[in-house]
Amino acid sequence: MSVDMTAPDTTPRLATARDYVELLKPRIMMLVVFTALAGLVAAMGVTGTSMNPVLATVAIVAVALGSGAAGAINMWYDADIDAIMTRTSTRPIPSGAVPKNEALTMGLIMSAVSVLLMWIASNVLAAALLAMSIVYYGWFYTMVLKRRTAQNIVIGGAAGAFPPVIGWAAVTSATPLDAWILFAIIFFWTPPHFWALSLVAHKEYEKAGVPMLPVTSGAKATRLQILIYTIILAPIGLAPLATGLGGWVYAVVGALLTLAFLHFAVKVWRSRAGESDAGDAERKLAMSMFAFSILYLFGLFAALIIEHGFGLYFPFGGI
Amino acid sequence: MTDPNTPVATDAEALLKAQKRRNAWLALALVAFVIVVGVTTAIRIQEADFSGGDRIYFSGYMDEAASEKADREAQARIAAREAEKVETVEAAQPPDQGDE
Repeated sequence: MSVDMTAPDTTPRLATARDYVELLKPRIMMLVVFTALAGLVAAMGVTGTSMNPVLATVAIVAVALGSGAAGAINMWYDADIDAIMTRTSTRPIPSGAVPKNEALTMGLIMSAVSVLLMWIASNVLAAALLAMSIVYYGWFYTMVLKRRTAQNIVIGGAAGAFPPVIGWAAVTSATPLDAWILFAIIFFWTPPHFWALSLVAHKEYEKAGVPMLPVTSGAKATRLQILIYTIILAPIGLAPLATGLGGWVYAVVGALLTLAFLHFAVKVWRSRAGESDAGDAERKLAMSMFAFSILYLFGLFAALIIEHGFGLYFPFGGI
Repeated sequence: MTDPNTPVATDAEALLKAQKRRNAWLALALVAFVIVVGVTTAIRIQEADFSGGDRIYFSGYMDEAASEKADREAQARIAAREAEKVETVEAAQPPDQGDE
């Protein structure tokens, strides 16, 4: 009898603080907090409206809690498929560290706390948007879309696109065009970002019965979709220049990152990444695009924070 | 049959320790929540201009028309209060003695 030494250890164990942190999906939380912060800072810079720094901090903490709550609800519902996939089998619930119901309770309580905090720190509109984004991810994406359609990532991407709008609404009690441009950037960024990863991990999704695009339509169609969405994203990523939201710093950073992202998309499209006969170089290329996509989003939003938060906004033009 | 989510650790002491640790974190989270709500409320009260119709928590309006209506109503309330005050002062003054 042989023993699979690479198989994850799924023996139930005592939970540690790290398990509870992992339940909140901290990597996603960081991106959510960062984009919400960018929305908040940009709103203050563009409208000239100030927000008490303590209240702004509480609003950002509320966004972080909301993101963690949605993550916990997602892990509660997806515990069965997480146990099947090697990449996710060591998560707190499938590994037996955190009981399922505890994760759900934690998610629901944190959802309520986050919305309440957002409300008392800012306004009812930001709180309503936060509540909607939690429901969108925790229920609509996780329970309705994910296991039913290959467009799960496209439609579900809206959940991750809300944070800058929430940040903007927290300051101004309104959601003007600029806030929705930031929403659109994340919305159209999500498919190429996630599909680049799924080109590598499609066998895992197939095993778990999750209809990701490479599973339902194949690697070639996925690579084409990545290219199409990246081409759509290019002008949207530069749209803040047209409204005046982005200045010279954003123009330079945005142009460079957009060109590089398009370069990656074309390379992936021309490659055989995701195919059964694909080599290690192709796998690395898809992973490089996945990693670069994070840098792309980080760069765009960092440029906004630098311009509006550090007084380095030099008008580029705009309408 | 045992629940698959139940830890298999037989060491009751370790289980109790873990439970106590969790309880301590929960208590800390509750205290933090109370402090955050308290500080936030204090700042909101300090920054609010109640004479202009501000409310502590419902600071946002879904549309501008509702916001303007609330402002107009607040102004009308202030004007009514001022008028009432003037009337009260006038009523309290002794009647005019007229020319002697």
